Amino acid sequence: MRLELTINGIPWRGEVEPRLTLADLLRDRLRLTGTHLGCEHGVCGACTVLLDGEAARSCLTLAVQAEGAAVITVEALPSGLIPESAFQCGFCRAGFVVSAAALLSDGRRRSRQELAGELAGNICRCTGYEPILEAVLRCQA
Amino acid sequence: MIPLLAMRLAQPAMIVDLGRLPELRGIRREGSELAIGAMTTQSQLQRLSLPGIVAAALPHVGHFQIRSRGTVGGSLAHMDPAAEWPALAVLLDAELELAAASGRRLLRAADFALGPMTSAIEPNELLVSIRLSGADGPFGFLEVERRPGDFALVGAACHRGRLVAFATGATAQRLPRCEALLREGGSPGELQALAETEIEATGDVHASAGYRRRVGAALVQRAVEAAA
Repeated sequence: MRLELTINGIPWRGEVEPRLTLADLLRDRLRLTGTHLGCEHGVCGACTVLLDGEAARSCLTLAVQAEGAAVITVEALPSGLIPESAFQCGFCRAGFVVSAAALLSDGRRRSRQELAGELAGNICRCTGYEPILEAVLRCQA
Repeated sequence: MIPLLAMRLAQPAMIVDLGRLPELRGIRREGSELAIGAMTTQSQLQRLSLPGIVAAALPHVGHFQIRSRGTVGGSLAHMDPAAEWPALAVLLDAELELAAASGRRLLRAADFALGPMTSAIEPNELLVSIRLSGADGPFGFLEVERRPGDFALVGAACHRGRLVAFATGATAQRLPRCEALLREGGSPGELQALAETEIEATGDVHASAGYRRRVGAALVQRAVEAAA
């Protein structure tokens, strides 16, 4: 199918298989490999991108569903949002950065507990989440 | 649906994207009735003023990254035994509006839910809306989940004397014997004991049937307390 969308502000058009996921389009076709694939069924959060401003799982979205949409990936977000030092292996980082960007975009200040609840949609197997939570709390300050 | 495709549990020859049909999105109020379009996303709903029990259930529907794309109709058609919308539909005695080329029909939630991952939607039909009436008022809606937003290990809800346990067995289960005991003024202890026998639970890798019955019964009792 023909597909036309904007990725990190740059228009893209091409021919894609209907079954191609948005994650695979980003990683395999566009080599935007900052978006990671963990579980590939919506549980781990590593593949989170912004789809028309809302955080979405790119592994659960078919590329053709993003027709006409504006997609933002971790590559286009400020690298200081959550510093690398908040992570260990870093596999989950892209998902956390995008999720944090979505949460911060509404300008609402969340308590530590609220933030922990919202960020529960992203799994980190190294850190125990404390440094990640601290970094997002600092962004709110 | 994408996980079902990825795991090869579903292998459809054709998929139709309903995402671009604006008439399936949004809510309509008629008196005390609330009609929610099937393609309304959970996050769109969260931005609206809704009956308390619906507003309380929504944060449990996946994580916010899921609610941004997940729809009410998608959840109902998918009919996961642990999902919130099928449980709300049964609890609130909702009506499901189904459309086919030959016409429309309304089905009560109890007749819509056939089993795990199975609804009464015919192959030539489309779920158009869910209609709730009298959904306001005090309620209890409780889940035990590993992370906020995960599928519930066990859930229970209470509204206007009706009781439902979900994430326990094949589908969300009304508990008529417990409801009768409530009407007769049974004690919290009696209610919990009865709920433990009435809940039809199945065990899996996440929780045993016994765990689901015991914790489910405790949640039923707490949901009744919250709704008082």
